[in-house]
Amino acid sequence: MRLSIQHLTLRMNTRVIVDDLSLDVDDGEIVGLVGESGSGKSMTATSVLGLAPRLGFGVSGSITLDGRELVGASDRQLRDIRGRRIAMIFQSPSGAFNPVMRVGEVFERTLRLHGVASNEVAVRAARSCEEVLLPALVLRRYPHQLSGGQLQRVAIALALALDAEVLLADEPTSALDVTVQAEILTLLTTLRDRGMAILLISHDLGVVAQAADRVAVMRAGKLVEVGSTRQVLDHPRDPYTQTLLAAVPRMAARPGDAHA
Amino acid sequence: MSASVIAPLEVASSSRLRRTLLWMRHNPMLSAGVITVGALVLIAVFAPLLAPFPGDASVATHPFSVLQAPTWLHPFGTDEVGRDILSRVMYGARISPLIAVAVLLIATVVGVPLGLVAGYFGGVLDDVIMRVTDIFLAVPALLLALALSSVLTPTIGSTIAAISVTWWPWYARLVRGEAASIRGRRYIESCRALGIPRWRILWRHVLPNATTPVLVQMSLDFGTVILTASALSFLGLGVQDPSPDWGLMVSEGQAYFLTNWWLVTFPGLAILITALAFNILGDGLRDRLDPRHRMFQ
Repeated sequence: MRLSIQHLTLRMNTRVIVDDLSLDVDDGEIVGLVGESGSGKSMTATSVLGLAPRLGFGVSGSITLDGRELVGASDRQLRDIRGRRIAMIFQSPSGAFNPVMRVGEVFERTLRLHGVASNEVAVRAARSCEEVLLPALVLRRYPHQLSGGQLQRVAIALALALDAEVLLADEPTSALDVTVQAEILTLLTTLRDRGMAILLISHDLGVVAQAADRVAVMRAGKLVEVGSTRQVLDHPRDPYTQTLLAAVPRMAARPGDAHA
Repeated sequence: MSASVIAPLEVASSSRLRRTLLWMRHNPMLSAGVITVGALVLIAVFAPLLAPFPGDASVATHPFSVLQAPTWLHPFGTDEVGRDILSRVMYGARISPLIAVAVLLIATVVGVPLGLVAGYFGGVLDDVIMRVTDIFLAVPALLLALALSSVLTPTIGSTIAAISVTWWPWYARLVRGEAASIRGRRYIESCRALGIPRWRILWRHVLPNATTPVLVQMSLDFGTVILTASALSFLGLGVQDPSPDWGLMVSEGQAYFLTNWWLVTFPGLAILITALAFNILGDGLRDRLDPRHRMFQ
């Protein structure tokens, strides 16, 4: 098992944010984590990287990467893992890039930081841009010169350039329009097919249905249902999953519409 | 930064002069500021050669040419002891701008790092740093500068020191607010998710995004520092009379303003033009540094 979360409990002061959550993500699979806002999805992802706030915050349980414990690991140990082995992409790609830095410089600095030789940096950056179907020219641009979809691709390319084994995708498509959304999801499935372990966090069941192999449903910090995507979406056992499914808006054919 | 990743597009090689002119056309504000400040530096450096009466910059009295209105011989007129004001204004370029630049540099070098650390790390560190700056801010600036300069001997150095002590807390506070707001931005979170060490995030990502208000504040403060220095001189605690400090000339000339306008006007104009030039320079620099404001790359 590549990434394994066991009995994870997160507390903010006395409030329990995530309650005894266990979830595995293996190589070559996309696990969808769904649930409404505030159900603890993002906090779960942030605590994998040890990025949860420190003050008044309690983490118990275990998070392992290839069997190596991450809960309680030192900041130095975690820094080697962040980005390099476990990459994370965010909901709003335009906000996730330093506005005064060219995109290429972010690549440059991050790759150098994680020990990539300077003569290899440009090659890797260009290659990973190609992999996410972006011209290498984007590296010369500032974030505000690129669209949301392009920036999300750049974020994914950065994960690729670092050879990350696990990708935590926190609502990666929620800020994008539908066509771009589909492109990013296709890209994620390509990465999965190449062996990446992906945790796809979304409040959108449509997104998860499209890309995930397995689905975990969260509510108020608790995992209420886990199973294959087909099983969970077609035959939800938990009443909350049923409500969630029923709440998905559909394009209803209005009476009087021509059915040609 | 390696040239291979983000090498700028090749510019067709043309003469150096033409490239400079092109750059100036694309950055009119910045070049106006650079030219004025450059002229100021030249005047300061070559004052002994440029000034018609170099001797008038220090102790000199000319009883027969007291308080003369501007003439061809004395384009800016003469002061109450008959010294040529043009020469004094030229020599003044060696004092007033120097005080202002030195004070602002000290204030930023001290205030900006303290503010960055306080705002970004927060917690106890923030409390300690900000309470210390509050103590400095609680004492009226001029009073503190007065107290300090009365202890020190009145020289340019002590004027700079006295004003700097009252000036840095504003920068610490300004930057602290910026850093605290930048800390919560998404790109800082994604920096952390990329494993970038905290000090490097602070230096490479928080600082560059906090420079704009600092530059604006610096260019606005330029004139204020010169006037504060002159207030100290006026009270007998700053730079003293024979030296041709612009602020000092303005405050001493005030007594003659209604009858002999040129005593105040020309040093005052020098302060105005210098402050304006640094203002424009600050604006231009901000536009250069912030890619969102930049029109041309």
